[in-house]
Amino acid sequence: MNSIEPFNRLVKLAARAFYDDVSMKGDNQPKTSRGDNRGMAVVVLDALTRRPWVREEDLAKALKLHSKQLRRILRFFEEEKLVTRDHRKESAKNAKAHNAAAANDGQTVAKEGEEKVKMHTHSYCCLDYAQICDVVRYRIHRMKKKLKDELDSRNTIQHYICPSCNKRYSAFDALQLVSYTDEYFHCETCNGELVAEDDKLASEEMGDGDDNVRKRRREKLKDMQQRIEEQLKPLVAQLDRVKNLPAPEFGSLQTWERAHIGAFAIGDPAAADSSRNSQGQYGTPMPYLGQTKVEVDILSDGEKEGAESGKDGSELKVIPPWMIKDGMNLTKEQRGEKIESQKLEKSEAKDDKKQDLKDDQSVQEEYIKAYYEALRKKQEEEEAKNRMQQEGKISVPDSQTERQVGKKYKRDDDDDEDIEWEEHQPTAAGNATETYKLADLNAEAQESGDDEDDNVWEEG
Amino acid sequence: MFFHIVLERNMQLHPRHFGPHLRDKLVSKLIKDVEGTCSGRHGFVVAITGVEDIGKGLIREGTGYVTFPVKYQCVVFRPFKGEILEAVVTMVNKMGFFAEAGPVQIFVSNHLIPDDMEFQSGDVPNYTTSDGSVKIQKESEVRLKIIGTRVDATEIFCIGTIKDDFLGVISDPGAAV
Ligand SMILES: [Zn+2]
Repeated sequence: MNSIEPFNRLVKLAARAFYDDVSMKGDNQPKTSRGDNRGMAVVVLDALTRRPWVREEDLAKALKLHSKQLRRILRFFEEEKLVTRDHRKESAKNAKAHNAAAANDGQTVAKEGEEKVKMHTHSYCCLDYAQICDVVRYRIHRMKKKLKDELDSRNTIQHYICPSCNKRYSAFDALQLVSYTDEYFHCETCNGELVAEDDKLASEEMGDGDDNVRKRRREKLKDMQQRIEEQLKPLVAQLDRVKNLPAPEFGSLQTWERAHIGAFAIGDPAAADSSRNSQGQYGTPMPYLGQTKVEVDILSDGEKEGAESGKDGSELKVIPPWMIKDGMNLTKEQRGEKIESQKLEKSEAKDDKKQDLKDDQSVQEEYIKAYYEALRKKQEEEEAKNRMQQEGKISVPDSQTERQVGKKYKRDDDDDEDIEWEEHQPTAAGNATETYKLADLNAEAQESGDDEDDNVWEEG
Repeated sequence: MFFHIVLERNMQLHPRHFGPHLRDKLVSKLIKDVEGTCSGRHGFVVAITGVEDIGKGLIREGTGYVTFPVKYQCVVFRPFKGEILEAVVTMVNKMGFFAEAGPVQIFVSNHLIPDDMEFQSGDVPNYTTSDGSVKIQKESEVRLKIIGTRVDATEIFCIGTIKDDFLGVISDPGAAV
């Protein structure tokens, strides 16, 4: 990407020059000190210089602004032609986060949510650098022209005065004043030769022809002109610097996403998430996963557990190190540590972790073992049963195992809630919240996918 | 700017026109009465394009004249402030020049003529640039911008400027000769 810095500097200069005192107050909001958000426009523009296409909700969060307030500002900048916005319907960011939110209603609801994808309109925005250059240049041009026109008393109606009888005429009377004997206008009453009132000073509402008022006004205009030159000097210089540089171009939201999310395909966050999780180990095509998904739902939790236990922890969702922050409530598997029983992590273990009591660790481990044994047994039973059921359909055992692998993937990616649900339903509410937290974490991870791009982009 | 609008007018017709051609007589009288007139509100009536409706006539007591309400469509021309017009110069003097755009008279005072054009008196008074490349005289065609209009009940008079980008002479009669 060609250097974006000069353009960002231009945006920042323009923001401070023109939008510093833009107040985005609501229609009926009195201008109290609290409601006074002047300068907010500058903050928003600055923030946008650090991001390409950004979801407006994310931006609002990052700026600690109410999204309504931000939208008002962005709409203003859209009108000012500084910002491009795009709106599109999306499946509730990903079905997952949504499911988690709805998880309290039980698994069936969660599944339902997955099937009929809920569409929400999300708005994205980014700076339109090429247009910004034009807009700023045009704005400066208009400012200067307006002052110059006023100084030159352009667009003003000429006035004439009869030196002998002091009668005044305007150019509208010209037809009656024309003399066919000479080149001048003549007074209607005394036929004296009219003289033009001093053009330059005639600019104002004639008033009583108070020379001082006009003079002062003229001085004011000149002064304003001078100050424009002076104060906009850095901005103009920056415009010149940028003039021959190709403006950074993000393209439309779709193009940009295709270019930047690339591997994660179509910019669908859910897809991005899943491909990240599977770490490319199994390039299982999505349709296959989809198939398994159905089956997972049919199968009991025990079956799933079996599939997991058959493999090791590398299958579990690993949160990349850059996403792990202090205060995050992570399970070991999420930190990338291997733990044999995913189940345990997701259930009781989580509670323990939350409490952060190391003393409990050993007790917990014992408990886990016991629990795990029980589950495994159950799962084996299930598996046997299941195999009997499936025997008719699938005769080759290999395909069966393969399918289990795929299944597991699937579950890791999208069905965490399902598993938890089945297992936790009877347990205390604490678990439910834990589940929720985990799902939240996922949602955050998906969103920070964008952030990651931001960072890369910013440094580049 | 031109507009196509519907106007209404009460026409009085002498009884001698009553007969099979009453309607034709009414219309030709309307055209004669209305075309070329100016109303401050609608501007100049350039042409009548059609008669929409002729109402029931009302006999005026004592005279025998009959009044018909007539609705007609017409094209009107109404100049506006800020509008760009092309006009033909009709007169040049030291104070500026006059031009016509159809029925509209426009005066361009000398301070609204570019500073590099100077008045030259003589047989054909004109404004000319110092290098003589541009000349405004009678019959020159100019593009000008209206900066003010005075609308009376029967007349519209405009003040124009040629002191702006893309304004000024668009054809020079002197050059053609
Ligand atoms: Zn006089």
